[in-house]
Amino acid sequence: MKTATLRDTAVTARVGLWLGVVVAVCFVTGLISHFIQHPQPWFFWPTRPVWLYRVTQGLHVISGIAAIPLIIVKLWSVWPKLFERPIIGGPVRQIERLSILVLVGSMLFQLSTGLLNIAQWYAFKFFFTTSHYAMAYVAAGAVLVHIGVKLPIIRRALGEPVDDTPVFVGPTRRTVLRGAWLAVALATVVTAGQTIPLLRKVSVLAPRSGQGPQGVPVNRSAIAAGVLRSARSPDYRLTVTNGATTRTFAVAELAAMPQATRRLPIACVEGWSADAEWTGVVLADLVAAVGGSRDSDVRMISLEPPGPYSRTVVPARHARDAKTLIALKLNDQTLDLDHGYPCRLIAPTRPGVLQTKWLTRIEVVP
Amino acid sequence: MIARITLIVLGVLTGAYGALLVWENPPVIIVRIVVWALVGIVLHDLVFAPLCVALGFAGRRLIPGKWWPPIAVAAFCSVVLVFLALPVYGKPGLRPDNMTVLDRNYPLGLWISLAVVWACVPLYYLAARLLPVRQDEVVEQQGAGDVKPQPPAV
Repeated sequence: MKTATLRDTAVTARVGLWLGVVVAVCFVTGLISHFIQHPQPWFFWPTRPVWLYRVTQGLHVISGIAAIPLIIVKLWSVWPKLFERPIIGGPVRQIERLSILVLVGSMLFQLSTGLLNIAQWYAFKFFFTTSHYAMAYVAAGAVLVHIGVKLPIIRRALGEPVDDTPVFVGPTRRTVLRGAWLAVALATVVTAGQTIPLLRKVSVLAPRSGQGPQGVPVNRSAIAAGVLRSARSPDYRLTVTNGATTRTFAVAELAAMPQATRRLPIACVEGWSADAEWTGVVLADLVAAVGGSRDSDVRMISLEPPGPYSRTVVPARHARDAKTLIALKLNDQTLDLDHGYPCRLIAPTRPGVLQTKWLTRIEVVP
Repeated sequence: MIARITLIVLGVLTGAYGALLVWENPPVIIVRIVVWALVGIVLHDLVFAPLCVALGFAGRRLIPGKWWPPIAVAAFCSVVLVFLALPVYGKPGLRPDNMTVLDRNYPLGLWISLAVVWACVPLYYLAARLLPVRQDEVVEQQGAGDVKPQPPAV
């Protein structure tokens, strides 16, 4: 009876190649999301197609989840090397071991914290976004070093056939590879429905079913934001300012202005997204009402007490876009309190966290 | 060689930038981040991996050779499903003010998906027997019982 040596560089290199591709997609889409939220002068983020962020952030979470089965197979294929002699060895050996330690540690850190974050389970006692961002560079750097170190072995292994010895019984290396692809497909199908509507029904492990008030899920509720009373107050007014010019609008006055209806997705940093029909006042009209320039950024301020997301700045490119609305209605109904009643920002290609809800003040930034 | 050196230098710089960002945290947070990463490694290397070895070792003795490939793949898929189910199964992240997160029946979802995975094992076995197969796959499917005894030495 002959069985194959399954834990082989032929398997490691092929799974590693795919893991590399998936991790690269995850890293780049993650950076995109970071720089939209922390704009840099060199960073350009377009307003079209309107579903761009839905795709990049959906890919971020999908590729991260796809990396889970791949990393399991990859680690499985090299695990015996952990016990290879010399266990400690000379300085070169120690540096190599240390680099693998950093690589595996940072990768497991990224995948585990990401997976917990999309389920909003904060079992770790550190701030998710900053640590996930910092460790992304550690992981990416460790991957680059690892590829650099292993390049000759990778080249050789990819050049050789997967099955070089005939196998009579049991799984072959090809079985391992097929199993890995199959598991990636399965992991995607059971979770990606929160991004890809077609998969909604079969994504049995997705943190969101896509349901919610007015057909759209919620990330931050009115209760969590502490706006239950202020948002429903009869004294509510939306203040729009441009330097010394200030105008205030009651909800009825906003509703009396020319209304526009736009089909735009809301796409969360946690990977879920939903298409919806929003109705309200075009932001550019409000900016024009106080004499603001089309080249100015516009600051959105929420009724929510000061916090990381209670104030956001809409770049001029998005602020002047005809699709950017101060929405009063969602899917033809008055905005639900959890969706930002009395009015909220909805703009193309922006992460949900920057689509400020429960607006109280809009300032044209000089 | 230049490609390798470039990759390594670029990698060290990128990693160092990440370390710098981690370093900006207060010491207690840095410790928590490092511990989280190390616990991941320890759990994998000293718990998960040995457990897989033990399972594989037992499986090889209990399961006939031709059943190994589909069962091994199904077992691996099950592990992946369980990992993905961990953060949603008991809904540890649920908050009463937002019923749009964790709004599925995850135990049911996990059991159904596991059932589908394992139902594929006999289906694969059947398909492998009934469908036309390539020559090397015929060989692959043969067990010890399929091999004819050696002709008697003359």
